[in-house]
Amino acid sequence: MDSKLWIALLATTIGTLLIRALPLLWMQRHLVRKQGSNSLDAMPTWLTVLGPLMIAAMFGVSLVPSAVSTAAWWATGIGVLSTYLVWKRTNSLGWPVFAGVAVYGGVILLANTVL
Amino acid sequence: MSLDTAPTANRPWLLGMREAIPLLGGYVPVAISFGLIAVQSGFSGWEAVLISTLVYAGASQFLFVAMVAAGAPLWFVVLMTLLINARHVVYGPNIAPWLSQSRWWPWLMHGLTDQIFALSHVRLPQLRAEDRMGWYIGASVVAWFSWIGGTAVGAIAGKELTQRWPLLGEVMPFALPALFLVLLAPRFANRLWAITLGATIVVALLLAVSGMKNAAIPIAAACGALVYYGLGILSGRKVSRENMKREGESQNG
Repeated sequence: MDSKLWIALLATTIGTLLIRALPLLWMQRHLVRKQGSNSLDAMPTWLTVLGPLMIAAMFGVSLVPSAVSTAAWWATGIGVLSTYLVWKRTNSLGWPVFAGVAVYGGVILLANTVL
Repeated sequence: MSLDTAPTANRPWLLGMREAIPLLGGYVPVAISFGLIAVQSGFSGWEAVLISTLVYAGASQFLFVAMVAAGAPLWFVVLMTLLINARHVVYGPNIAPWLSQSRWWPWLMHGLTDQIFALSHVRLPQLRAEDRMGWYIGASVVAWFSWIGGTAVGAIAGKELTQRWPLLGEVMPFALPALFLVLLAPRFANRLWAITLGATIVVALLLAVSGMKNAAIPIAAACGALVYYGLGILSGRKVSRENMKREGESQNG
């Protein structure tokens, strides 16, 4: 890498860190100013709504299979259902994810064998 | 790994590490792809690892490497990679109420990726205040190291790996939607949230299928916010109509 590329890499690194850290510092100062009230109440409502929505949007995007095919969409649907059912039963974090990946992989393997 | 407030003993960082393990399924295959593509674009193996260590942002790293390889002006490369990460501005403020005033937190935001945010947003409120930093460090270090390690493996042996086990790269990324679903699942008990989240997921999915993966997250979240506030206004009107009707009936009676 030449020196110009190094500068570009450093600028991207610092910029990415600032994008993640500066809004936190802003909110921490905002919460300090509103000290005394509950910190959740002191947060703007739109921000508390936006958090879960960002996770939901990431979920929607991640549902698109890496190799799109009818079998992959079936595997996604069955995998999501299995994950949810295992979560309902265990109310845990690890087991539903493990079960979802196992079922997804099983359906893909089955489709590759049959088709 | 219960989602309820769990006793974390004296090792919250270990709990964080354990809870970040599902992320590896999504991180490692993508990091291997990045290492492979970076090398194919003319970067050396250690340069690819350095980009993963310093920038540590999936989509923008791919864009950085592709634009540099295409000979784009470097100021434009920096601008575009930062624009892709602009959605991260809402992550820190969302977890701020559960963070202490420690001067380390802003530096620890280097590890605040999409997935670590999703995990922290649900888990930090459930942990004791004194355990939160340890938990966050444990979780983010596992994710960061898996990203760096995956890049190194991809740069060194990515081509061979993807040829030998193509199915692994196809199956493991399903860990991410499975994890996001588990993090969202408790909110589906509330009708307003169920409709809002359902609409957000459908919009994001449709945009991603149309090839707009990066724009999909902020656009779908904005659509979800419209649904949330729209339904709130509608239900508010309904309640006030019912109140007026009741008042009218009591006056007539």
